[in-house]
Amino acid sequence: MHAGETIIPGVSFAGSLRGRAVAMLNRVFAERFARLREALARFMYGMTGFEFARHAVEMRHEMETVFMVVTMGDLIGIPVLPPVYSLRLLPYVVPEIATWKRNLARRKEFWEKEEYDLHGV
Amino acid sequence: MNTLLAVIIGMLTVYLTYTRYARRIDRNVIQSDPKRATPATLYMDGVDFMPTNKNILFGYHFKSIAAAGPIVGAIVAANLWGWLPAIIWLVLGVSFIGWASDYSGIVISIRNDGNSLSAIAHRLVSPRSRTILFMFIFFYLLVGASAFVGIMANVMESQPRTHLGIILLTAMGLLLGQMLYRWRTGLVGATVLTVGVTLLGILAGPWTEGIFKSFNAGLNAISGGTPLVTYFDPTLANFKGADAQIMPSLLFWAIAICVFCYAGSVLPIWRMAQPVVYVGFWISALSIVLGLVGAALATFIKPEVAQFVLPAFKGWNPQLGPAGIMPLWPMLFVTIACGAISGWHALFGSVGTARQIENEADMLPVGGGSMLCEFLLGLLALLAVAVGSKGAPVGAFATGLGGFISVWGVPLQYATSLAFAAFIVIVLVVTQLLFRVMRVTLSEWLGDVIPPVRSQHVSSFVCIALAILVVMTGTWIYLWQLLGGANQLMAALALLLVTVWLASVGKSWYYAGLPAVFMYVTTIASLLVTSYNLYFNVYQINLAAGRVVPVIGSGLMVMVALLLIVAALFIGFDGWRAFLRYRRRPAPAPTPATARA
Repeated sequence: MHAGETIIPGVSFAGSLRGRAVAMLNRVFAERFARLREALARFMYGMTGFEFARHAVEMRHEMETVFMVVTMGDLIGIPVLPPVYSLRLLPYVVPEIATWKRNLARRKEFWEKEEYDLHGV
Repeated sequence: MNTLLAVIIGMLTVYLTYTRYARRIDRNVIQSDPKRATPATLYMDGVDFMPTNKNILFGYHFKSIAAAGPIVGAIVAANLWGWLPAIIWLVLGVSFIGWASDYSGIVISIRNDGNSLSAIAHRLVSPRSRTILFMFIFFYLLVGASAFVGIMANVMESQPRTHLGIILLTAMGLLLGQMLYRWRTGLVGATVLTVGVTLLGILAGPWTEGIFKSFNAGLNAISGGTPLVTYFDPTLANFKGADAQIMPSLLFWAIAICVFCYAGSVLPIWRMAQPVVYVGFWISALSIVLGLVGAALATFIKPEVAQFVLPAFKGWNPQLGPAGIMPLWPMLFVTIACGAISGWHALFGSVGTARQIENEADMLPVGGGSMLCEFLLGLLALLAVAVGSKGAPVGAFATGLGGFISVWGVPLQYATSLAFAAFIVIVLVVTQLLFRVMRVTLSEWLGDVIPPVRSQHVSSFVCIALAILVVMTGTWIYLWQLLGGANQLMAALALLLVTVWLASVGKSWYYAGLPAVFMYVTTIASLLVTSYNLYFNVYQINLAAGRVVPVIGSGLMVMVALLLIVAALFIGFDGWRAFLRYRRRPAPAPTPATARA
């Protein structure tokens, strides 16, 4: 939104002090509206799709744990499985090692899993 | 009094509490620092610890804490004491206690490396407090599941119009899980299909009412119209108490609910529990949004549905059954739980939401903001029952909410169907989760001593059998108050833990300590009153009539209530000693905030 544009169709305040003030107000409202729309969209996502995304991440984590165990031999220099497969996969594994290790090493209470959330009883 | 005024009071409460009190505590007492690293950023593991945008977390946390609790509590309380005490407690409770409990649950976890409340209690209070919290959770789940099964079986038997919607909800939930996780369909398309079909099923409910009525009549004809079980129910005959009967149709629907919950308990979470909750969320969210806005607009568009019909005040100690007592203090404060304050929120906030908070400045909008929104949900339930006080409490709620929805031009018959279905959907999806958590708790608790309960089928069966036994006492109001007592006691213990922590780090503890004392004394008193009622109003009457099942069920409930009191006394004693220990110790020197990466 620029100076000269107007919130009242057919009426231009270009160049005048009032015109610039209106343009500035328009810009402020447009930005606020955009922020509000984005916040609402995220709020809706939090109430709807976020839980599925989290569960998908957890399922992937379970798979990755198996995967890490399979490739761990090569990581520490012991060829447990034919290295031709695991070596091809290693570049994808290495960046995940730090977060995977943290997740696996932390002791969990049994009720801390997402699936035991009671949804507001 | 009309609904517009009540909505304005609600909005003002939210605004004033957030801006005038909660922000001040966040700024001056907790001193949230956007530059301090949170566990989500420090220990990011890609699964549990994950920095997440505050608006997403706000939606996630609100959805996770908002369900049947604020609705059922408001319905029961308004019918027992009138709408005025209920609205006063909702407003004062959320303003001074509720938001503080939810917010502090997140704060204490974030300031303690993302640890759960039980782990922090183990460290700060005493090792046995963790075990006591564990036991608390099991009995909390038992009374919760029993109360909900009892409520639902009665509503489903008396409202055949809801059956088609519930059957379709189950089918669509299963379909949604298959579509999302197996067929990899997009979420939007799958949502439109499954929620749309369920909604059509709910709206078509009145057309299929006759079919299900005939079905129920056919079931009852099996026993020749004679009841299977007779028990004394103090909530009947306008709360004077009368004999109630369990007909084959009611037993059928109770078993159907249990089969549903059993499937939700043992199937993988993605297969049934999660997608059913998701479809149910849309149905209930639609009803709540339409209802809340409708309640505000009704004064101008349809004034006849906006006027309060229920008396403002029904008495300090309304009669419930021949020997029951129901004093406003302490019973109101446990009957309305989640809309004013809830212990489960703090427990969930500490293990779920706290580990995803990206920035300390997000703690208040996510924790406090969600609780204030939950208060609005409780207020809506109260308004619905206050304007539509016809028949049984749940019926009054559905009539009232249906009236609000009808403001949008939906015929009243369909709007009421939607309101009934929304209520059952909310309760049903929560109940299956309750059984799921209960069977896990049971196998963790007794798995080493009794190996068979490690099997998910055995533990699920045991949990359902226990719940059915308690349901057979027919006293869902007492079950609800027992659940409220356990829940509020958990809130008191969470606040007590926050108080001990605040004392241990040399901060002002009054904002958490004073509500903790109030809730602790109130909930213990309420558990004593509930035990008294169960013994004199249910146990003895059924014993005199020689009814075995209600006697065992009510006896079990009395024992649970007493057990909760003993556990609370132990943890309160340990908490008090810990508090004094930290108070006598000199305050630690302030540590510099860790810089965020």
